[in-house]
Amino acid sequence: MQPRVEVRLQQDKLWETLLARANDGDGAAFARFLGAVTPTLRAVIRRRGEALPADQHEDILQDVLLAIHLKRQTWRRDAPVRPWLYALARYKVVDAFRKRGASINLPIEDFADVLPEENAATPLSSRDADVMLGLIDARSASLVRAVALDGKSAEEAGETVGLTAAAARVALHRAMRRLSDVAERMMK
Amino acid sequence: MTPKQTTADLIRQLAASPAPRPFRTGVVAGGLLALLGISLGAFWLVFGIRTDLASAWLLMQVQAKTVLPLFLAITAVWLAFGSSRPGGRIVLWPLAVPLLLGVFLVIQRFGQVAEGSLQAEALGQTAFACLASITVLSATPLGVGIVMLRRGAAIRPALTGTLLGIAVGAGVTAGYALHCTEDSPLFFVLWYGLAIGIVAGCGGLLGHRYLRW
Repeated sequence: MQPRVEVRLQQDKLWETLLARANDGDGAAFARFLGAVTPTLRAVIRRRGEALPADQHEDILQDVLLAIHLKRQTWRRDAPVRPWLYALARYKVVDAFRKRGASINLPIEDFADVLPEENAATPLSSRDADVMLGLIDARSASLVRAVALDGKSAEEAGETVGLTAAAARVALHRAMRRLSDVAERMMK
Repeated sequence: MTPKQTTADLIRQLAASPAPRPFRTGVVAGGLLALLGISLGAFWLVFGIRTDLASAWLLMQVQAKTVLPLFLAITAVWLAFGSSRPGGRIVLWPLAVPLLLGVFLVIQRFGQVAEGSLQAEALGQTAFACLASITVLSATPLGVGIVMLRRGAAIRPALTGTLLGIAVGAGVTAGYALHCTEDSPLFFVLWYGLAIGIVAGCGGLLGHRYLRW
């Protein structure tokens, strides 16, 4: 369970960094942000959207992406991005179904549930990860890589770099915190 | 017919378009405050502030009829802004504080007034002027406020509109109270409350209609 939370924390930081830069006018960052959130949105729409034929799901996804663009400045940089994104997407998905004469029952928890399982394809691009991991020390980086990206447990990861399970968890935790700082600095 | 746009194309296209202008609640607040100031300033110029304000201000109920709406306005505008951004948690109970204080003043006054004069005191002399002034003075700030909040992203548009209505109505009321000489809580809690309610209702309707996106 622990690594999954860590992955998500790291992913939050990345999303927030990307969106903050996007709002400053960095188009490439915005493209990566949209690319990163698309699998989640698509999975939620597909999972709850039986009321409409599947070929309309992609249209609805595009409605949501457009709304994210139009309303992206309503995200406050000091607020977590995930609740903002999910509330916005939920509003827009429900609205899109209503416009097409269908209804959808969409608990907000669905968005959280879908991660990271159905989102495994693009948890974060390997380039982002490499850049960020390059900025912390090598042992921490290899721990993070093993746990967050390769899906190993903290114990297994610790063994490969010669740490006990407890020490590995502590080291991992510190590494994550440093990564958060790195993400913050990247934002500036 | 052109082929359907793929999602990847859309993302590229959105990324290439400029970022929308920032949504700054400070600007909205400034605009609202300026409009309220203009409306109330014009009203005071034409109809005047009560001449006995300095001496009347010593009375608790006179302070209450300005301070309670002011508190309500500040709370409501803050909540309206919060509800204009998706994902924020909206806690509505602070709105009940000035209302409960008002009800408390009414109950307290009930104990002091002779049975026969209750109705006369509640109806007052200026009830219609009070309702008309507050609603008319609120119209422009409310309309402009709704337009400014369209830049936000209210996921409960009617709620956001209602909150803005409460904020504008209560803000106008706080200023109107400096003109009004009816100092019985029986009067002002009833009629100010009703006036703020009307503006809030208008705000809710406008929000439902114009704050969708």
